[in-house]
Formats: sequence, structure tokens, C-alpha cells
Amino acid sequence: MAIRVQLDRILAQRRMSLTELADRVGVTVANLSILKTGKARAVRFTTLDALCRELDCQPGDLLAHEPGPPDAVDDED
Amino acid sequence: MRFPNLNPAGKSKPRHRRNPNLLTPNLRTLGPGSVASVLKIALDVAYVVMILVTGLLLLLWVASIFIPLDNLNVTVSDGADGREMPLSRPLLLFGLGALTAYFSGFLLILRYLRKIFRTLTLGDPFQPDNVRRLRQIGLILAVVTGGVWIVQGLVAARLAPGVMEPQGISDLLTPVFSVLVVFVLAEVFREGARLRRESELTI
Repeated sequence: MAIRVQLDRILAQRRMSLTELADRVGVTVANLSILKTGKARAVRFTTLDALCRELDCQPGDLLAHEPGPPDAVDDED
Repeated sequence: MRFPNLNPAGKSKPRHRRNPNLLTPNLRTLGPGSVASVLKIALDVAYVVMILVTGLLLLLWVASIFIPLDNLNVTVSDGADGREMPLSRPLLLFGLGALTAYFSGFLLILRYLRKIFRTLTLGDPFQPDNVRRLRQIGLILAVVTGGVWIVQGLVAARLAPGVMEPQGISDLLTPVFSVLVVFVLAEVFREGARLRRESELTI
């Protein structure tokens, strides 16, 4: 994906673990992990809102755009 | 209809249903204890019966390779006057073989249908495997109905002319239509699986 979610950096800055953030935001650790590793296809605004609330940051702090060709879309058969 | 996820504290997993899939106010179509589960039980029973029938036919077919046929005749009649024909071994093998193949085809179809309905009972219909199963059902249905058409044509032409009529093109219309509908449904399920995957990867 050309949009990167920079959870690692902000979690380190806030000294929060992934599990703790998952609890606070109301998303499973698995889903947060999908977000972190760049496998997510989309993020709901409600989730983004909860993330910014708990991490006390702006969406722009979380998301970065890397210009370039988009990754191949994997379609299940 | 998809309801927006207003509750961020809700865990999202494929089986979380906001739409209870109601057929009538008290009757669900998908998920445990629904119409789909009842149908699955019916399919299980039919499957067991079909296994027994097909197994029996297979045994008969194998046995017919060996049993003596000296005095066995088969009567070809349409009620009024009959014609006796000696029962030759190739004829017996052909007849029993065709019957066994017919029932085996439906056994396979039932097997795939059962697996599909198992996913429906779990309330998770759009699994990628269901696409493959539906396509295979369509293929087997095409082979079985095509086979019936051919065999009936052969029997009418060679063995029982005047008594059994060969199936015309119009008799193929319904089976062809059904097979095509099954293949279209498979593609519908493929699209459903794609949407489900998108939804799973929407955090």
C-alpha cells in the first residue's frame, strides 16, 4: 500500500504497548497488527478517531503517503 | 443493508451479525438453528441414503461381471405387446453402469451441497471454498444431465425404438438453464467473498 500507518513510532513515543492501545481503542490486537504491517485495505473514520484520541495526535501523525506504484491487489480465488 | 459501525468498542469478526437474516419475524435463514440448518440435516439424511444406494449399485455392477446370464431375457414393451430380448452381458453392464454413474453424480453433488450448507449453518456463507464447490456442482450437473440425454438417445435408437423416445433439444433446455444459473451463483459468491475480505481488512 502507498499509505503507511506509523503506529510503531507513536507507540514508542507515548510508551504504550499495542495490546494497551487495542484495549483502549476497542479493536483487536490482530486488527491493529494488520494496520501496523500495512495489510489493511481501509480504516474507518471511527477507528481513526479513536486512535487519535488515545494517542493524542493528528491523523497526519499516523498516516504517511509514499508516492509510487500501488501494490498488487490480492484477490482470493 | 450494511449498518455503520457506530460502536467502536465492538469487535469485528465475520460472524458478527447486525442483520439477523430473518426469513419471517421468527425464522432465520442463516446461522445456527435456521432454515439452513434444517436443510443441512435433510441433506445429511439424503447423503447417507444415496451412499447406500450407490454402494449397492456398485456391488451389483461388479457382480454382474460374473453372474451367469444364460436364460435371462429383458422385455421391452410399452404396455400392449412386448418384445423379448436376450440379456447380454454388455447390455447389463451398460445399464447398471449408467445407473451407478447417475447416482454417483448426485452423490457428489450432495457432498458439495452439504459442505456449502455447513458454512451457511455457521453463518459465514462467503468463503472462497464455496465458489469452487458451486462450480464443481455445476460441472457434475452438466455431465449428469448430458449423460442422461445421450444414454436415453442411445437406448431409444438401438434398444427400444418406438418404445422410448430420445430426448429432444427442448428437454435439454431446463438442465442447461439450471447449470448456467449455478455457475452465475458461483460468481456471485466469488464477489461476496471478495467483499467479505475487503470488510475483514477494514479496521
